[in-house]
Amino acid sequence: MESRILSVRGMTCAACAQRIEKVVTRLPGVQQASVNLASEKLFVQYDEGATLDAIKEAVRKIGYEVAERAECTTVSIPIGGMTCAACAQRIEKVLRRLEGVVEATVNFATEKATVTYDPQTVRQSAIKAAIEKLGYQPLEIAKKDAAEEDRARKQKQIRSQWMKFIVAAAFALPLLYIAMAPMISFVRLPFPGWLDPMQFPLVYGLTELLLVIPILCVGNRFYTVGFKALIQRSPNMDSLIAIGTTAAFVYSTWNVFQIAGGNFAAVDALYFESAGVIIALILLGKTLEAISKGKTGEAIKKLMGLAPKTAIILQNGTEQEIPIEEVEIGDIIVVKPGGKIPVDGTVIEGHTAIDESMLTGESMPVDKKAGDPVYAASLNTTGTIRFRAERIGSDTALAQIIKLVEDAQGSKAPIAKLADVVSGYFVPIVCLIALVAGVAWYVGTQDISFALTIFISVLVIACPCALGLATPTAIMVGTGKGAEYGILIKGGEALETAHKIDTIVFDKTGTITEGRPTVTDLLTAKGVPADELLRLAASAEMGSEHPLGQAIVQSARQKGIELEQAGGFDSITGQGIRAEIGGKTVLAGNRKLMDEQSIDLAELEGHSDRLAEEGKTPMFVAVDGKLAGIIAVADVVKQSSKAAIEALHKMGIQVAMITGDNRRTADAIAKQVGIDRVLAEVLPQDKSDEVKKLQAEGRKVAMVGDGINDAPALAQADIGIAIGSGTDVAMESADIVLMKNDLMDVPTAIELSKQTIRNIKENLFWAFGYNVIGIPIAAGVLHLFGGPLLNPIFAAAAMSLSSVSVLTNALRLKRFKPHRERRAAQ
Amino acid sequence: MRKHIMRRMIAAGIVAVLLLAASACSLDVIGNGSVTAFEQVLNAMTDRVDYDEAGASWSLSAPDGSARFVWSGNWSASEFDAMLAVDAEPFLSAGLNPNLLSEGCVYQDGILMVGRNLGNDGTEADSPLSAYRLIVQNSRSAVSYHMAMDHFGVNVGFGMFEWAKDMAANDKDIVFVLDPEPLLAAGVDPNAVEGWVFGEVEVHQNGKQVKVEKFLKPFDLT
Repeated sequence: MESRILSVRGMTCAACAQRIEKVVTRLPGVQQASVNLASEKLFVQYDEGATLDAIKEAVRKIGYEVAERAECTTVSIPIGGMTCAACAQRIEKVLRRLEGVVEATVNFATEKATVTYDPQTVRQSAIKAAIEKLGYQPLEIAKKDAAEEDRARKQKQIRSQWMKFIVAAAFALPLLYIAMAPMISFVRLPFPGWLDPMQFPLVYGLTELLLVIPILCVGNRFYTVGFKALIQRSPNMDSLIAIGTTAAFVYSTWNVFQIAGGNFAAVDALYFESAGVIIALILLGKTLEAISKGKTGEAIKKLMGLAPKTAIILQNGTEQEIPIEEVEIGDIIVVKPGGKIPVDGTVIEGHTAIDESMLTGESMPVDKKAGDPVYAASLNTTGTIRFRAERIGSDTALAQIIKLVEDAQGSKAPIAKLADVVSGYFVPIVCLIALVAGVAWYVGTQDISFALTIFISVLVIACPCALGLATPTAIMVGTGKGAEYGILIKGGEALETAHKIDTIVFDKTGTITEGRPTVTDLLTAKGVPADELLRLAASAEMGSEHPLGQAIVQSARQKGIELEQAGGFDSITGQGIRAEIGGKTVLAGNRKLMDEQSIDLAELEGHSDRLAEEGKTPMFVAVDGKLAGIIAVADVVKQSSKAAIEALHKMGIQVAMITGDNRRTADAIAKQVGIDRVLAEVLPQDKSDEVKKLQAEGRKVAMVGDGINDAPALAQADIGIAIGSGTDVAMESADIVLMKNDLMDVPTAIELSKQTIRNIKENLFWAFGYNVIGIPIAAGVLHLFGGPLLNPIFAAAAMSLSSVSVLTNALRLKRFKPHRERRAAQ
Repeated sequence: MRKHIMRRMIAAGIVAVLLLAASACSLDVIGNGSVTAFEQVLNAMTDRVDYDEAGASWSLSAPDGSARFVWSGNWSASEFDAMLAVDAEPFLSAGLNPNLLSEGCVYQDGILMVGRNLGNDGTEADSPLSAYRLIVQNSRSAVSYHMAMDHFGVNVGFGMFEWAKDMAANDKDIVFVLDPEPLLAAGVDPNAVEGWVFGEVEVHQNGKQVKVEKFLKPFDLT
């Protein structure tokens, strides 16, 4: 199975997107096709029964341009030392033979090599080395970034749209004036005598015709795409505009001929201004759409701008500043105070504090020393460090976040799919209504001009272009806003499901609590020294990865106790461990382990209950079948836990906690922070079953965990939220990733989801509202009872206004602030 | 995109200018059409067309002789270059006081004249048609098209002389039209004027069809 993302150009509304999906899905071998109108991307999944070329051809055939999202990179390398065209040819030949180079062109005149290559297969340094080997000098490299290309293209698109609108407006305004001025009786507007329609009807008609032609030229896309779609029986928004304005233009042109032939009354049946002004107004709407779309994608641009352009590497003992593209894995990178971390890696020397706020939103700089990870685009504040580059280019956490946000913005929420389905039927139905209304009025009035006006008005007011924007724009802004706060929402579906959540289950350790338990109490059985108890337990736990075990080991080390290597280590899931220490069999674990091994706990049982009630986890230690003592371990509750749960309660969400810990400890923690429901003593493999049980109660359940140990439960939940982790595993298993270790981000994420969904619903209302109200008026229903008609020009204005309303409303989401910030502001 | 669109527009503009330049004279469909239709009227009424040498003007008389349309062949030689001269008797009987007539209306020797000066061009026309063409060429605004009746017309001040665009399709081939305002102001009872119809006529004003009252004397020549 292969997956590809293709860029599709030329879509104008949801009907276009749906059409492409339909056509591609029908191709043999294609399993899935999904189009996002706002980001102009087609995601397609196909098996060996389909080819990418066939898919692209199918899309092109229905009138859209398609390009595969560049996996390859293109660089332009200036080359010194070439003396003739033969040199250029030689370099070209050698470069093309390099594995991973897709295309290489060397221009002797410009002294540049343009190389398209797969960065996964060949490095730039290898390309440069190949050129150097031939005896030429590769100079500084200019890189064309796919994202940069995309941005430049979007800017060009906006400029082009503006130009089209300006041209259209420049001709539409005089056209409108000429058409309207003679009709305004209450004020005498200046009007040239030679254009008087009653005196010079042919001049009048021809002038209007000449003014409308340039407008139709700049709006030619509506006709090329619209009629093609109509012919292929998949009419879209462009089809409506094309049919309406063409009808107006053709009928008016016919009447110009009538006037030339002596039928001067035809001057009253000219509708050039309708066609021209409709096109101009819709072009205005499209221009504003293009600008707004650019704004909705600002989050991505911001993230992309974070990465520095150069890095200082240590090469042969000396510091060298190189372009970031040339950094390779394993390079030792030096970052001085105030410098930005260029790539991901691990500190090998130095000590500093790093401001990771641009990635995670966490405002406090994080201390870093040898062995700690550092991330691209974070800011080094105090000390100089050296670190080893481990992840570069598209592998950095920043690049992954950008990709995650990009993919989220390109994804479709179920509500959007519904809008697509509706709009797919909407256009043909509207065409039918327009036809029926036109014919009915003609039959009733015998006035073809009146019937034509009705026909055009219905087509124009019913354009569903705003419908296609309603959901993707809100999702783009919402996910972008989330990224600003370190909340990465993986898709429209996650966004839509999150707002329906009525139950949240928190994992205890590392989520509600800090996840760094420490030993708080050491209670020994009679005759067992405390240090010996600790020594044996810590030695046994050395092989364990459990945080409780690690806490015991840490405590022993802190006390300077020498630990012994354990033999025969055995981890018993959900109970504890068994190990052989110096010939003694040591058991460390919970009550269940002790009961199963028939260890008598009577001596210290009362203490264990007390410790549990204090919120501590008592670990029983038995040596050679006898209870040796209890080591209590406590994990501090996070500062934000109680506030976060309170905030969730205010939203009407029930909060549960799931833990492998004993019930008493769990209850104690739950009481501290206000948990409604405690699911204690749950084995790790049973966590997902507990989530399932809650779902079986008819609840919509979100699970919050660290993403590493809770993957099955996160996957089972309706929404999986990974907290305090930017790791690959978290990003893979969770629907929402919270970059900071702050539980308050959970209610923030839910709040953001609710506001985004509300925004989508508002947008759909605006999009549909204009259509639903406008169609009957345009069809003349009110006119039957003496009410008003809808002039085609006003219909076009209303239709453009609906697109602008939707986009403006979506941009309101940019003002979203988490609850805590709003309170702080107050 | 810009170059592409600009090229198309420039091409369209050049074509338009060429077309306009080439067909400039034929774009005045009303002016040219009125000449053609007037010629048809003249041909149908050759025995009713006269030339007045003293006034250097032509006249077209109604079949019953009660009204004439007079147009000058030399505007420098006449005060009224286009006028209607009608039998004043019906109006006098209806209460007309000639002393109360306003400028543009003249009563003389039993004839009521309404007319206007179109200019002082000294060009001499040698035929009734060429004299009419002078009006189209030099005072185009005096010529108009009456959509409701499918008539061309010459504005003579407080009246119009109208003729059918297509005599075969029209039952009112020529119409003498008088504005009622100066006559009513001069004491005429509009309902007492014999031989004239006082009624509403649809005219095009400000992009709309409106009804106005006129004195009308239509004739069917075919």
